[in-house]
Amino acid sequence: MTSRGALPPALRAALTSPGGRCYRHCDRPIRTRRIESRLPGLWYVRACPSGVVSVTIYAEWTRRDPTRSVQHALRDWTVPPSRVRLRDLRLATRHGPELGRAAERLLATARGRRGVRVVYWRVYPFRARDKTERRLFVCFRRAHRSPVFFVSASKAKGPRCPVCTRGG
Amino acid sequence: MPLSVRYGQRLAKRLRVPLQILDIDRRGQGKAADRFVRDHGDASPDYLIPQVFLEWSDGQVEHLLTGFSEQVPRTARAWRDLLSSDWLRSVRGSERP
Repeated sequence: MTSRGALPPALRAALTSPGGRCYRHCDRPIRTRRIESRLPGLWYVRACPSGVVSVTIYAEWTRRDPTRSVQHALRDWTVPPSRVRLRDLRLATRHGPELGRAAERLLATARGRRGVRVVYWRVYPFRARDKTERRLFVCFRRAHRSPVFFVSASKAKGPRCPVCTRGG
Repeated sequence: MPLSVRYGQRLAKRLRVPLQILDIDRRGQGKAADRFVRDHGDASPDYLIPQVFLEWSDGQVEHLLTGFSEQVPRTARAWRDLLSSDWLRSVRGSERP
């Protein structure tokens, strides 16, 4: 049994997507890291070893659109919170047939034919007023209990987390 | 040829239905795509692509697939799973869409 909205192991396995490389930044392998929140679904952050975030993913087994809840949670983790804009949050519904045999059969037998709703937070690189390229970074240091998302210059050697204020 | 056009052609062939592609970068098609996504798909201000739909002969529209934002190979895997799914087998075994 799983709590409402939580994903059973078969669905988790079907949704995970390891691998990939940091696109147009360092080309190093992307690491996928799980994070916790009060929401019932599953969070993953895909980021390179320097902390440049490729995408942050939230998946929940539900009929509802969790986009607003995701925005709210992300705003708690982001400096400044206004960086989490609705236009950077994108919804996807996973019905089952596109998730492989095990997940398809699980979802087909589920009460109420619920699908999995996934929200992606992707912030594309952009130019600041001084024309330097900026990207979204994440800091996972133990100095803070939650991840900290912040924007810094793409080429910064040690992007400074605004919460633990230590260079990377 | 874009990945989802290639797999879309395969799916259409298996279902023996025509494939219609709406390119969001073309003015007329983009508006039709926006409407489709808003009415039947995964709508967001800057929605994910591709989004794949099946229109049945009675006019019902079924959302089948939205691209995976993680990486292109993940969307390719989803297409392969869709093409070998129980769902596709059952649709092919029943009436044509």
